Amino acid sequence: MNAQLETQPETAVLDLPPEVVKLAIRDLDFFYGSKQALFGVNVSFAANAVTALIGPSGCGKSTLLRTLNRIYSLYPGQRAKGQVLLDGEDVLGPRVDVAALRARVGMVFQKPTPFPMSIFDNVAYGVRLYEKLSRADLTNRVEESLRRAALWDEVKDKLRESGLSLSGGQQQRLCVARGIAVRPEVLLLDEPASALDPISTARLEETISELKRDYTIVIVTHNMGQAARLSDHTGFMYLGRLIEFGETEQLFTSPVTSRARDYITGRFG
Amino acid sequence: MIAPGAPRLSRRLAEYGFLGFCWLATGLAILALAAILWSLLRQGLGGLNLDVFTKSTPAPGSTGGLLNAILGSVMMCAVAMLGAVVVGVLAGTWLAEYARDSRYGKVVRFLNDVLLSAPSILVGLFVYEILVAPLKGFSGFAGAAALALIAAPVITRTTEDVLRLQPAALREASVALGAPVWRTILHVVWKAARAGMLTGALLAFARISGETAPLLFTALNNQFLNLDLTRPTANLPVVIFNFALSAYDDWRRLAWAGALLIAATVLTVTIVARLFARESRPS
Amino acid sequence: MTLAADAPAPAPPRSARGAALDRAFEALCFGAATFLLAALGGLVVSLVIGGWPALSTFGVRFFVSAEWNPVTEVYGSAGAMVGTLVTSALALALALPLALGVAIFLVELCPTPLRRPIGTAVELLAGIPSIVYGMWGLFVFAPWFAKHVQIPLMTAAAPGSLWEKVTAGVPNGAGIFSASVILAIMILPFIAATLRELLLTIPPQVRESAYGLGSTTFEVIRKVSLPYVRTGAIGAIMLGLGRALGETMAVTFIIGNAHGFPSSLFASGSTIASTIANEFAEATGELHTASLIALGLVLFVITFVVLALARLLIGRQAHA
Repeated sequence: MNAQLETQPETAVLDLPPEVVKLAIRDLDFFYGSKQALFGVNVSFAANAVTALIGPSGCGKSTLLRTLNRIYSLYPGQRAKGQVLLDGEDVLGPRVDVAALRARVGMVFQKPTPFPMSIFDNVAYGVRLYEKLSRADLTNRVEESLRRAALWDEVKDKLRESGLSLSGGQQQRLCVARGIAVRPEVLLLDEPASALDPISTARLEETISELKRDYTIVIVTHNMGQAARLSDHTGFMYLGRLIEFGETEQLFTSPVTSRARDYITGRFG
Repeated sequence: MIAPGAPRLSRRLAEYGFLGFCWLATGLAILALAAILWSLLRQGLGGLNLDVFTKSTPAPGSTGGLLNAILGSVMMCAVAMLGAVVVGVLAGTWLAEYARDSRYGKVVRFLNDVLLSAPSILVGLFVYEILVAPLKGFSGFAGAAALALIAAPVITRTTEDVLRLQPAALREASVALGAPVWRTILHVVWKAARAGMLTGALLAFARISGETAPLLFTALNNQFLNLDLTRPTANLPVVIFNFALSAYDDWRRLAWAGALLIAATVLTVTIVARLFARESRPS
Repeated sequence: MTLAADAPAPAPPRSARGAALDRAFEALCFGAATFLLAALGGLVVSLVIGGWPALSTFGVRFFVSAEWNPVTEVYGSAGAMVGTLVTSALALALALPLALGVAIFLVELCPTPLRRPIGTAVELLAGIPSIVYGMWGLFVFAPWFAKHVQIPLMTAAAPGSLWEKVTAGVPNGAGIFSASVILAIMILPFIAATLRELLLTIPPQVRESAYGLGSTTFEVIRKVSLPYVRTGAIGAIMLGLGRALGETMAVTFIIGNAHGFPSSLFASGSTIASTIANEFAEATGELHTASLIALGLVLFVITFVVLALARLLIGRQAHA
């Protein structure tokens, strides 16, 4: 075991060919006040693919996700250093319009967060922020989004009812519909199934697989089965560092680093 | 001999005495409420008639009603609530959304709490000093300003409290869609907290609708029907105060009728506010 | 997923007007908060300026003399100060044990179906406007109190005894003690409600483990619950005291409105707030007005200290 360790690299990050890269992260450090949570992360996420981020709690996978749309900047004291390049443009730059950035990079959270308004208005909320659509176009957009989120058939007769009246799994798919209604390019999912029952989880995973045709998807999960089922690439993080990144199948079957192997085989975490 | 497990006699006596006292204390509190309500109904219902709502306050020896006082109170409370809701909601929003950990926020929060329980008569003195004395005249607006200063801290406090109960994820979800923070607060956070915010406004209204002390030397009183708030304006609390201490029986009857009206309003609003409060707790 | 084949349209142009409005909205909220701060500051400044003529004319005498005479234009606040402190202290002494009893009843003893109605009743007691308390005190409570408490006590007092001095007064039910009773009824629900909230913050395991050791309810309350919420409870009591100190209308109705030091429990007296309420609108001259405003300043200082302590203590409990 020890002899093996010496021949193994500490980290192993696969370089993607530049033409498939949608998001590239360069030397990213992240701080909560004076506490550093990410250390020099370098990784790229491919367009029209699902990338999963796994690792034990507190490893920084959610933090990494939250830098990609700068949602962290809501909180004074949290800051990021380095570069996050979206189509080659640094989204951490000072002159970036963060609201516009967030419209391009959608996010779905751990717990469903329906707004206190009707199902229709929930989905239309983000659309109305940036587009002046006619009533008919808006209705079409809402329907299209709900269909893509595989929720349409369940709610088509009660679009005027409150979003809060739906079940947990439906609420989460409503949040997905809301996120894709603004037609973002990237979709960030922060443990989207952790509050859902197995059946709802299966439906949500189905939805995510369908969505990857049109979006670049990054999903944080602590469910390794989910990562293996859904993703094309997987990154394993530990203590604020990206330890290993590669093709999902390769990472799960023959991890290069000992830490990733220990985690995947359930030896810690 | 003491049976094992059975408390000693002294402990049992202390226990029974204590429990008895708690029952007694609660009984006394409810008795006080019942006695006050009973007096209000008995004395106030007798004085309530159509005249109360259609005639203005009488000159000594003649008959009349409370129309001018009721209208004056309604107008002043409405103006006061308008100002207090704007200031209170915005200030509460600032405390909850922008100043959670800032030092200035802590100072504002602390002093707002002091203002919240400061004697209302001092607010009356303050408004007298800045509005009545310089403008050389008592006015309904001065009264409304005093009431607004009493209501605003209540609304600030409840607004901050209910906004803080809203989960961070709700704000993040809206911001993550590209919504600016102001829109997130207006369209999502306020909307989610609306029942609680309404409760705060209702409680503030209940508080000011019975306030007398700050009106004594701001709105003063006016024997006649007056819809012009730049002049002294009759209002229920001050009329009740003056009439209750008068020597005329029918004035005292009017005072009781007025007291019943005010108490009924305040208690109804309080109960409605409680119902909203129950609804506003996030599930 | 028939629609999945349609690629989404290219992203529409995004606007940036959000950022400017964000700053404007934050500034608006900040302005409202600062306005409240300015209101409190303005209140203090206006009381100092308005009361200054009296303070500069009388100096220390304003605080130590109990003489209050609009005819000779001599004003001292000691009588009203003592009246305020005595009525508030008495009210607190009467209300505190009862409020504790009510709070404990609601948390520990009350049968569940009665919890809400009794809780509401206590809250309604707190909601009754003070002018209603005043009328009820003067027209209902005072006559009853005179007939059933004051006169029997006075007749029972031996001539020349200390008891006679304490109970001396016009037997009409108005006076210092009656005002204290009314104040006690008014602050009881406030203290009870705050104590109840505090008692509910005690983790159930703490109480259950005390019961598990065979303690009676009384012992759990005395040795576990009350010590647990001590800091906050003192804050709650001071909050009640703050209300009593500043209460105006109810006291004005029933205290009898006599200047100077109160001579006995049943004698007429005055508080700072009742003096201002009675005299301000008809103040006879500049010095009279200034003296009343200076009285207000005294009241503000007293209540500010009490309320500030109360908030600090309650705040500390909340963070504990």
